[in-house]
Amino acid sequence: MATNAQSPRLARPEPRGIGWSLLLTLPIAVWSLLMLFRPGMDTNPKSRIAAALTALFMTALFFMMMRTGNTYRWRRIFFVSVGVLFPVGFIYNIVSMRGTMGIPVEEMIAGRTPFCFMPIPLLILPAALTRTLVFPGSIVPGGGASGAGMAAMVGMWLAMTLVLGKGWCSYACFFGGIEEGVAAIPNRARIHKIDPRWRYGPWAVLLAMVLLSLALFEPAYCMWLCPFKAVSEYIAARNLIGLIQNAIFVLLFAGLVIVLPFLTKKRTQCSFFCPFGAFQSIFNKISAFEVKIDKERCKPCLACQNACPNLSLSQESIARGETLMSCMKCGACVDTCPRQAVVWHIKGTEIAWKPERARLMFLYGAWAIAVMFGGTIIYGGVATILHFIA
Amino acid sequence: MKLRPILGYTAAGATILAAMLTPFLLMGYFANGVAALPLHVDEVYSGGPKARTVQMGAYSIAIHRPVYPHYLQSEKPFVQLDWTPVSAMPEHVSDVVDIDGDGRPDIRVSFDVPRDPKAPLRVDVEPLNPRYLPMRNVGKEKFSRLIVRVDNAILVRVPLAN
Repeated sequence: MATNAQSPRLARPEPRGIGWSLLLTLPIAVWSLLMLFRPGMDTNPKSRIAAALTALFMTALFFMMMRTGNTYRWRRIFFVSVGVLFPVGFIYNIVSMRGTMGIPVEEMIAGRTPFCFMPIPLLILPAALTRTLVFPGSIVPGGGASGAGMAAMVGMWLAMTLVLGKGWCSYACFFGGIEEGVAAIPNRARIHKIDPRWRYGPWAVLLAMVLLSLALFEPAYCMWLCPFKAVSEYIAARNLIGLIQNAIFVLLFAGLVIVLPFLTKKRTQCSFFCPFGAFQSIFNKISAFEVKIDKERCKPCLACQNACPNLSLSQESIARGETLMSCMKCGACVDTCPRQAVVWHIKGTEIAWKPERARLMFLYGAWAIAVMFGGTIIYGGVATILHFIA
Repeated sequence: MKLRPILGYTAAGATILAAMLTPFLLMGYFANGVAALPLHVDEVYSGGPKARTVQMGAYSIAIHRPVYPHYLQSEKPFVQLDWTPVSAMPEHVSDVVDIDGDGRPDIRVSFDVPRDPKAPLRVDVEPLNPRYLPMRNVGKEKFSRLIVRVDNAILVRVPLAN
């Protein structure tokens, strides 16, 4: 690869001073209080404690990002917390409402099936061609399981995607944290060599599910393949087909979210399978932020490629000085590079020109969304736990 | 300074602004935009629009337009009938219903109305018109042949002959 014309930056930057780090964290502290104590939040003492703990948690993690210059480690703590606490709050609410994690057909007919972001790409073609939403929910404001309706979820997704692009998969997805947590369990990877063609898996699943959803007029991924049905809600089995569907959910969850991340240390569901992740990759093209590789500094040691949890770096892309479009801006490659050749970057600027400024600008936007969305999920999970133990 | 970096920083700044505006403005703006689109939930789930209502003393039967599934959907065409309110219904219902409004009875529908809202329901449908298919002791097998309680209504979906 390129020769190194400049002096190498082998050492990590010095940690920021505490005062400067606190100053940089102040906007996020204010934002956390604003989001978690906003009007409409539950005002009972346990909920207030949960909100305070969450605000403190989110602020502390951002402070550590500022203080250490490390993004991935602290973001991962947040993300795994969301992944673990989402099922806690969600399952509690669902079971409180209807007594089971299974969606009864009555709830589907009433348009009260909770809507997550996963089916969004599957709804587009049937909606465009026939004006029909192939999901048993409600589009009107005030409808749906949470009173939000599909329109509210799609609106939220659009706004957050403008900010995050594919960064959704690192700062907003409430499922990915489970496998990231499993991959973080300290032990050596048992599977080292992964065929790079697996990168096309999510695109293949996306194409197949979009076409199947159009043909069958149902959200095919939700009906047949979503591994996270195992930890959220499943189709109440009324017949053999329902039993088969639920068995597929459990097997995919066990394989892609538990076993393979443990063996590979990668987010295998996201890397090999998730159609929403593939769809979200398209929005990296409109994001102002990206991760670049300074070819002047890079000795191709491939530490970044090995660190990437999502197979978003290849030798070819490193040679080109860029990540693949599936990059979810988690920061693992940036934090790992021993020469600081992998940098946060604002499109249109020179590579490696004030990368810390680019990182800060990205993190302010991403963490604001993380507090608003993931923070609320963490709050819900903590409040549920407090409800049981106190 | 060149134009491209200026545009880059402008976009980056706009992204932070968008993040700040997301909970207060953008989410609601986009949600209202999506809600205003001329879209409807698939009628296999929603049961289709109501065509007319028949009063049966203390309760009424809302008759929906027939629903014809799309493409490769595995459901049969069906028509949905809503008995409401449950609180005004007798312990056993056996109604003859003129679905198409031609003055002649089309089906006889019989089911028990348990007071426990979570108790399973079973329905018998005897077709008096060959356009409708019979159902015998049916619960909630498929979207196109079922009986369920939704809030204060009992919904019966009767499959149509092809």
